[in-house]
Amino acid sequence: MRVEYINPFVESAFNVLKEVVGGELTRGDLYLKSTTHPVLGITVIVGLAGDVEGSVIIDMSEETALAIASVMNGEELSDFDDLGKATISELANMITAQAVTKLYDLGFKFDLTPPAMITGQNLEVSNAGVETLIVPVDMPQGKIEINVAIRERG
Amino acid sequence: MKTKSDFPSINERPPEGLKEDGSAFSVLIVDDSMFVAKQIGQILTSEEFKIAGTAGNGEEGLEKYKEMYPNIDLVTMDITMPKMDGVTALTKILEFDKEAKIIMISALGKQDLVKKSLMLGAKNYIVKPLDRKRVLERVISVLRQ
Amino acid sequence: MDTAVNQTVLEEAGDLQQKIDFKMVTFRLGGKDYGIDIMKVKEILKGNKFTFVPNTLPYVAGVYNLRGDIIPIIDLRKMFYLPGDVKKHKAQEEVIILRLADDLILGIIVDSISKVQGIVSDTIQPPHPLFGDINIKYIAGVVEYEKHLFIILDVERIFSETAESFEQIQPTGEKEKKGIIKKAAAREADYNFVVETLRTFKSFYVSDLNRKWVENRFKEWRTFREDENKPIQLADPEDAGQYLEKYFSPYTNMLWGADYKENLLKLMPDPPEGMFNVWNPGCGRGFESYSIASIARIKYPESPFKIWSSDNDLLSISAAPNLQLDRNEIPDYFFKAQLIVEQDKGCKFIDAIKANIIYEYHDLTHNNELPKLDMIIARDILSFFDLSLQDHLLTDFREHLKDGGILILGINEEISGHGWYRLEQGNIIAYKKDKT
Repeated sequence: MRVEYINPFVESAFNVLKEVVGGELTRGDLYLKSTTHPVLGITVIVGLAGDVEGSVIIDMSEETALAIASVMNGEELSDFDDLGKATISELANMITAQAVTKLYDLGFKFDLTPPAMITGQNLEVSNAGVETLIVPVDMPQGKIEINVAIRERG
Repeated sequence: MKTKSDFPSINERPPEGLKEDGSAFSVLIVDDSMFVAKQIGQILTSEEFKIAGTAGNGEEGLEKYKEMYPNIDLVTMDITMPKMDGVTALTKILEFDKEAKIIMISALGKQDLVKKSLMLGAKNYIVKPLDRKRVLERVISVLRQ
Repeated sequence: MDTAVNQTVLEEAGDLQQKIDFKMVTFRLGGKDYGIDIMKVKEILKGNKFTFVPNTLPYVAGVYNLRGDIIPIIDLRKMFYLPGDVKKHKAQEEVIILRLADDLILGIIVDSISKVQGIVSDTIQPPHPLFGDINIKYIAGVVEYEKHLFIILDVERIFSETAESFEQIQPTGEKEKKGIIKKAAAREADYNFVVETLRTFKSFYVSDLNRKWVENRFKEWRTFREDENKPIQLADPEDAGQYLEKYFSPYTNMLWGADYKENLLKLMPDPPEGMFNVWNPGCGRGFESYSIASIARIKYPESPFKIWSSDNDLLSISAAPNLQLDRNEIPDYFFKAQLIVEQDKGCKFIDAIKANIIYEYHDLTHNNELPKLDMIIARDILSFFDLSLQDHLLTDFREHLKDGGILILGINEEISGHGWYRLEQGNIIAYKKDKT
């Protein structure tokens, strides 16, 4: 992935999570995967368009998703229901949107498509074959992985 | 649901959501995210605004505005929605009622659309993640115009 | 049988069972049964990948890499002039690995390994000269078990340092000391061990790509270490680094000097129609990429070009787009070509150069989506991948290059093979893709 794109995603993941969830966050080491393949359970995909095409996938376990959605809603959610899903979708949207803004300031024009949430294990994602940057963030509620799969256009 | 008593400072002044005659300002929330709609609802309700209704897309928002006209004092309008997006819905509501007061709710990164909305007649905008203070400031400033 | 006798037999058997105090690994050799004290046996294996060692005795089958240790393999049949089973070429030999006094490890080839047999040591009898085909002094004893006669070998004696010689029955047998096996095996082992430690300490894989250099360097290194009174072996990453010091291409980790630039200018083809594309994998902090971009600008003042740079070292490549250098780190020709901007803090490249280089954090083993390339500059990176990856990457390079495109590897890396035409220009060696 192009070097200039990396920091915006790393920073926005950290900033947004810090702001809306809070608590002790630690950034994990970045690494690359040959394809985007979410593995933890709850997945939200936000599409990217513009100078590039690709997607940002937020990946976390259902337990983590429930805990985070509870914090964000200011109440204990007992099931990962529509409200929980809407909450995590919004989280993915915020992270991607902030990254896109930073990239805009650097001269890269990205656009994002509304988030789509999928739940389930071992999903095949349409960005198969695109090298993916993994940004892991460790939170008290569990681990979140942000998968960024970007292909230069043209 | 948070109420007046949860916010000690409010006890010293009248809630922002009430008009001079004591009735509440009526707000229509148009947003495709249940979470965002709930957040806006909670912030406003805590200041005794009345949430007249919620719509999940622009088309539904337009319909509800027409149905409840002239009793909607303010509309919060999400920019990115399926079926009919916020900018289109904005235009259509203003066509129907040129006095309509509409605040755009946008995620970061949609500056162009925010600008466009303001030029088309939106009164103000609020950027996510929602900050209680800023939401109230903007809402109040629009209603007091 | 009489039940009373039965009972006695069973009792005796039971008694004996409890008295087993000696276990031996039994095997067949030259038609007879032998045994070795299990305490001397390290392990058993089947194999045939013995590296032949020249100038040793005929019964030394070679050396074997036992998980990193190089050990000599003795063909026991040859050693004792026994008629051996003729194994088909490439069949696996059965080998018993022994651990003897002073931690001496060696392997012996036998006809077939039978099993571990427990016996009562009281039943072992001293050897009788008539029993063996081999010298009685190498026999610890004999024992009968289940109608088989086992000859128990005194392996310590057979292989001990202090044994005068391996006395052969054949009168004209050479009286060589075991030391010679060790020495010849040791030299081979030294080189193999250096190869292993290069991999362990520096992830440097010896292959056809670099073998010539590694072997030549080994000779130099051995002399150097002997002069310094240090062992040949690479004891730590520093040693390995020193060994590899001379491997790297000119101007590693710095901008390329004027001589290199002149040579590259001569090697570069005429500009193609459209974009001139260069791939620079392993670009690190960007020195190579900036050099290539600058030289391309000099060679093709009017034509568009793009340098695709990548590395999997995130820390290094993150700094590349904004690389800042001291004036004295930059050869004159960069200034002459007006490619540098000087600021208070240091020097940077002009935007026009930076705009033509795309730096990517990328793992070479993953897919990439590069256009057809005019040039690939991959100096000193292939050697740091394992052999199968080296092959894979070379194939990948070839596929990505246009016909007539140029591949530049490390100065001490070479490819031989169809479809590449070797070009040499001063301190640059390049390979041009021929149509196959």
